[in-house]
Amino acid sequence: MSKSSQGAKPKVTITFNGQDIAVEADQSLWTIAKQQGVLIPHLCHRDEPGYRADGNCRACMVEIKGERTLTASCIRKPSQGMVVTTDSPRVKISQQQLFTALLANQPARAEGPDGESSLWQWADKLGMAGTGKAYDLPAIVAEPDASEQDNTHPAIAVNWEACIECGLCVRACREVQGNNVIGWQGRGADARIVFDFASPMGLSTCVACGECVQVCPTGALLETSQSKARLSSDMNKISAPPTPQSPQSHQTPQSPQSSQSPVILDQRVVREVNSVCPYCGVGCQTKVGVNKDNRIVRVDGRDGPGNHNRLCVKGRFGYDYIYHPDRLTKPLIRREDAPPKDSHHLVKPHEWSRYFREASWEEALSKAAKGLSQIHKQHGPNALAGFGSAKGSNEEAYLFQKFIRQGFGTNNVDHCTRLCHASSVAALIEGLNSGAVSAPFTDALYSDCIIVIGARPAENHPVAATFIKNAVRQGSKLIVMDPRGQHQGLTPWATHVLQFSPGADVALLNAMLHVIISENLYNRDFIEQRVEGFNSLLLRIDEFTPEAMAPICGIDPAVIREVARLYATSKASIIFWGMGVSQHIHGTDNARCLIALSLITGQIGRRGTGLHPLRGQNNVQGASDAGLIPMFYPDYQRVKEPANQAKFEAAWGVSLSPTPGLTVVETLHAAAEGKVKAMYIMGENPAMSDPDQTHAREALCHLEHLVVQDIFLTETAGFADVILPSSAHAEKRGTFTNSNREVQMARPAVPLPGEARQDWELIQDLAQAFGLAWDYQHVSEVYTEMASLMPSLTNISWERLEREDAVTYPCLGPNQPGEAVIFATNFPTPSGKGLIVPAAYTPPGDSLSQDYPFVLTTGRLLEHWHTGSMTRRASHLDTLEPTAIAGLALADMQDLGIEAGDMIEVETLRGKIQLAARADADVPQGLVFIPFCFNEAAANFLTSSRLDPFGKIPEFKYSSAKITPLRP
Amino acid sequence: MAGQQSKAGGNSTKGRFTNRGRVLASHEREEFQAIMAQESRPLVADRLIEYLHIIQDKLGYLPLGLMQALGEELKQPMVAIYEVASFYHHFTILADGETPPPKTIVRVCESLSCALAGGKNLHKSLSKALDGQARVELAPCMGECDHAPAVMVGRNPIAPANADKVVEAFVKGAWHTPSAHWPSLADYRAEGGMACFEKLRSGSLTKETIIEELHKAGLRGLGGAGFPTGRKWDLVRKAPAPRLMAVNGDEGEPGTFKDRLYLETKPWQILEGILIASWVVEAKEVYIYIRDEYPLGLKILAEAMQELDALGMTSHTKLHLRRGAGAYICGEESAMIESIEGKRGLPRHRPPYVAEKGLFDRPTLVNNLETMLWVPFIVQHGGAEFAAKGMNGGAGWRSYSVSGRVAEPGVKLAPAGISLNQLIQDYCGGMAKGHELKAFLPGGASGGILPVREADRPLDFGKLEELGSFVGSHAVVVLSDKDDLKAVAENLMEFFSLESCGQCTPCRVGTRTVFKLLRQGDWNVEKLEALSQWMTDSSICGLGQAAANPIKSILRHFPEVLP
Repeated sequence: MSKSSQGAKPKVTITFNGQDIAVEADQSLWTIAKQQGVLIPHLCHRDEPGYRADGNCRACMVEIKGERTLTASCIRKPSQGMVVTTDSPRVKISQQQLFTALLANQPARAEGPDGESSLWQWADKLGMAGTGKAYDLPAIVAEPDASEQDNTHPAIAVNWEACIECGLCVRACREVQGNNVIGWQGRGADARIVFDFASPMGLSTCVACGECVQVCPTGALLETSQSKARLSSDMNKISAPPTPQSPQSHQTPQSPQSSQSPVILDQRVVREVNSVCPYCGVGCQTKVGVNKDNRIVRVDGRDGPGNHNRLCVKGRFGYDYIYHPDRLTKPLIRREDAPPKDSHHLVKPHEWSRYFREASWEEALSKAAKGLSQIHKQHGPNALAGFGSAKGSNEEAYLFQKFIRQGFGTNNVDHCTRLCHASSVAALIEGLNSGAVSAPFTDALYSDCIIVIGARPAENHPVAATFIKNAVRQGSKLIVMDPRGQHQGLTPWATHVLQFSPGADVALLNAMLHVIISENLYNRDFIEQRVEGFNSLLLRIDEFTPEAMAPICGIDPAVIREVARLYATSKASIIFWGMGVSQHIHGTDNARCLIALSLITGQIGRRGTGLHPLRGQNNVQGASDAGLIPMFYPDYQRVKEPANQAKFEAAWGVSLSPTPGLTVVETLHAAAEGKVKAMYIMGENPAMSDPDQTHAREALCHLEHLVVQDIFLTETAGFADVILPSSAHAEKRGTFTNSNREVQMARPAVPLPGEARQDWELIQDLAQAFGLAWDYQHVSEVYTEMASLMPSLTNISWERLEREDAVTYPCLGPNQPGEAVIFATNFPTPSGKGLIVPAAYTPPGDSLSQDYPFVLTTGRLLEHWHTGSMTRRASHLDTLEPTAIAGLALADMQDLGIEAGDMIEVETLRGKIQLAARADADVPQGLVFIPFCFNEAAANFLTSSRLDPFGKIPEFKYSSAKITPLRP
Repeated sequence: MAGQQSKAGGNSTKGRFTNRGRVLASHEREEFQAIMAQESRPLVADRLIEYLHIIQDKLGYLPLGLMQALGEELKQPMVAIYEVASFYHHFTILADGETPPPKTIVRVCESLSCALAGGKNLHKSLSKALDGQARVELAPCMGECDHAPAVMVGRNPIAPANADKVVEAFVKGAWHTPSAHWPSLADYRAEGGMACFEKLRSGSLTKETIIEELHKAGLRGLGGAGFPTGRKWDLVRKAPAPRLMAVNGDEGEPGTFKDRLYLETKPWQILEGILIASWVVEAKEVYIYIRDEYPLGLKILAEAMQELDALGMTSHTKLHLRRGAGAYICGEESAMIESIEGKRGLPRHRPPYVAEKGLFDRPTLVNNLETMLWVPFIVQHGGAEFAAKGMNGGAGWRSYSVSGRVAEPGVKLAPAGISLNQLIQDYCGGMAKGHELKAFLPGGASGGILPVREADRPLDFGKLEELGSFVGSHAVVVLSDKDDLKAVAENLMEFFSLESCGQCTPCRVGTRTVFKLLRQGDWNVEKLEALSQWMTDSSICGLGQAAANPIKSILRHFPEVLP
């Protein structure tokens, strides 16, 4: 967690409770005591990574011979000859007085927010816990009144009366998560914790990461799900789970609570399951708390390699989508008398019965398979295509692509990586022959200079962002390059903020390359030994002077020089990027520039250096690795290489197509043209996620046979002929690979609802119905087969993952930790060298005009993930961000004559949508930002399906648009 | 759009249509820029308290919008500004939608010497008389204990005060720091001032000689801790560069007013001492921290420092003047350091000591203001001559701040080690008329209370500890047969409970709990003893460790007053 180097630790001898022991000099007395089997009481001290001992609660006092006062063991280091006693009479008086005084100011145990809090547990252990206010000390604050609770936040309850001012929440919020919301007010006995300017929590800048809740020792900060105050309130009645059932019970639109009698839930956790988070590519390890009714009621973070106990609002509070009434629990078949498929009409979950009827599994699977095989027979393999999912497990991804390749005989299989990092992967494979990150995001802690470009990790990878913020706290320099500001994210932490002109990435990055080359800041040795193509860069870079590029990218040449020098000359520099780099028609060129930056400076292959495209989905790395890509078999083995074809033909026992298949957008084009006639889509939602949605939805309508496997009746499923209800993340077992190349084990926390089935079983059933002789008995068998075909998974067995929960690939031995940082000595290219491919500046596909004067850019919100199919059904997340918004600069809103919250129409050449305006300080003038998670105003009606020529990724980040205010 | 909480508005029904949290309005940003126009840019985080003063001085309060604009420019989150502003008594935060209070604050001292002189009644009458026109507040010691009761009208100290005088001053608009008459640098030079520093600069005097003389003088830290000054300088001098220096002028111990007097009458001596010290330890920067209760002293120092800078006498270092904001705890050296860094005044844990890791985490020499005053004297006259001034085993002169029931209160320059009886008889003109010595505080609020039978003991470091007491800053408050010792203890406990920083539980909860017990008349010995021991044993800093001294003194020396 820190830069301090490992070495032999100096030791000292101390006398501990009468015994002489040799101890490490840089450990606290508290830790030494723990090692000696003495657990010293502690409240403000958290014995977990990232937490600084603060020594303020004074529960952990010990006596040191010769010192006038007692000392806090959590913050004191030993010195030679120190005589330490943990149980002297003075120590005991101190402990007793502390708990007497604290408990005198607590609500009675039964009435307080959390009678099982760490405070009460210690009071029990010390024999101090009475049952009521049996402490004959006066309370120092007035009796709690109504204002002593802050219930303004949907997910977190604040119970001031239970607060002991230990400040753990302040450290959690500011030092660990770096969110800087919680702090202090006043002093002395009147000191209390506050949010921002003592705002109600729900109106503060709180991002609800819930770290404070996880560490609070008293329940003063508590999940509302766990708060006694809320147990009898309407909140729980509203979110009471329906007993698993089909959507049948929702034939007419109705609010879910009206269909049930009020249920008061028992929210107590009776068992916990170790798993991983279902959301982004950070891959936080979780501890899922389940109540006696097998319902998830709480999620905490675990000490995984990528999260160190941390979570974000989605991971911690976004778990209840699996109980949403829209959950599919029975197979559905399109009714013979259903209205024709209409690209302009999305089937709403509540109107399902006009379009679908329930079916048995037998009927549904047979109809699904028959439809596919008929098309196969009539039109050949290439009339079929499949979209797998980056949300599913590695095993599911492997089986899916195997089914498409082995069963359909085509390589028409892809998934949403095409829409996020396809261009990054194209450039990385071209340059380094490896599509994965070179170092984990936690390596930010070893970096001196961190560039974050085209990524907003505080919103999209919040836990990864915490490590970047931690690094800045330790002294690293942070350069943020993003047309939009990140005022509530990384901007306040950044040494340099470059809000460059949208689409001008290559101009900016080439100008940096120009500075590094013209000022001789490049690493000659590294280039000589490990790089190819430097000369071609030299030939092309001349025209990209900072002065020439400044008018294009909008950044002062002096600033370009400064950041270029900083990146090149820092001891260790690392680059993080996201969709802002990749989602352009020149996305591959953007990534080529980043690769060139790292190669010419030698900022790769060491701790704290490298290239890290931040992965968007929980398993987009794993799904890509597993071969859910039209040009690659598992492990990026090219389908057109005869040797690869032979290897997989041998493994799968059929002949395979040597032709790379269609990518996501190409597939939909082909469907529209009638070339692709049937599809199997598992857990993907192209009707929301794909560009130029009018066209995408028309393409889906045009299919003769569409099988959709999902947990909800998604926008895409509305166009299906057969819908197979499947498993949510919390219900399945399998491995998932995060952005850091850490393969992690997820375990089912709760059973499947109704007749829903495991995804991998459904793929197998379809494969069998298609005539394939599959017979996997357990998901572990799938893993083992997959690993045998993927050199990257060598030494990472299923059993090992069961045992260790996470192993990084590549891994050099069954007992060795994986290689967090790769490319230390060579690149996996034929020559062993990295290849620089110079990039030319290409303007964006759309151009601004008088009619379309705004640049439209799309993306995500902190609370909503991808198309919103999960998060908009998660009660807390949807409460926090319930409405489709378009972010605009205040000045533009004034010019348009609108106020925050007014409705506007945003139109591009592709289409138009209506939604509310948000005054967004992050948005510069001339830009409009629209998140693509809102189906009531789907941003992808507006985006263009023009593609990057290499990565085949659409340009989601740049469309020209016009804005018209709508008068009420 | 006015600055306000994030907004659910417009013609949509639900949702958030601004960024999270309070939205900074452009007019607020502009008002902030106008107020800060004089400040050099970029604004720096360690000057946060200075910036808050600029706003508070201008408006009489801190509106949230200006605090948010300040945070934006400092790249600090809202809460980081808020928690500092709300920590210090001299800042008034105005929440959105709140009516601005009257601009002027009238502070009435309620600390012991002023309380004995009727401070609380004065507060009552002033509250009535100035209702709606000024904010009349109770406040801790203002260093005017020899002219009790003291009142501060805005920045104008009035002592001794009565309601008429205060109302008159307020009505006349006499709210500002009064003009000061203080010696010129020329006068100081004429008496031989600055000669030592010049010798040091010219090389005719060595750093080693200075330290040697300090050793010989037996000069000890006069802020209250009494650490040998020469040894401290030696320690810091040997610590790795860059080294810094901080001068503690946060004289908050109730009953202490010597630093205020010297600041107003002998600023050049103090500054020469600072120049010498910074030369000897080679401090790159010097921060002089003066409590906000001393507006006159702040004004004098600011002008004097400017003069020294202009004369090029500070070329070996850089002098900064920092203004406190109403917090007794900032007299604790590490809390003062935090405050200089622009933070809440929370004492740090020791080890590490500030000599190893102090201001901005650099080795730091921290000395009290009066300690600096004696440095030129000692260098000029020799350490031995200074040391010889003491009596009863003490070394040198001491400045006893004497207040309470004596005929002639004031700062008494007397030999270290003098006894209370002798101090009263020889320096204070005896007891006040009609009062008979009954008890005394040898070291302000924290030094405990001693009975008359101990009045012949030397008032010096190390001499009173066996009685559970200490001389500290040499703030002697004399009590008589007319005084109620339980009320005295209650006054002191209230002071500590209001001035506790709140960082550690024993002090935060302990001071308020004990105060509440006393106010309820609950003098249960067992309970008070346990609480006292806990506070003394387990508090982080000297405040909490000493806060129970009044109680322990009563239990030990005055059992007869207990019920």
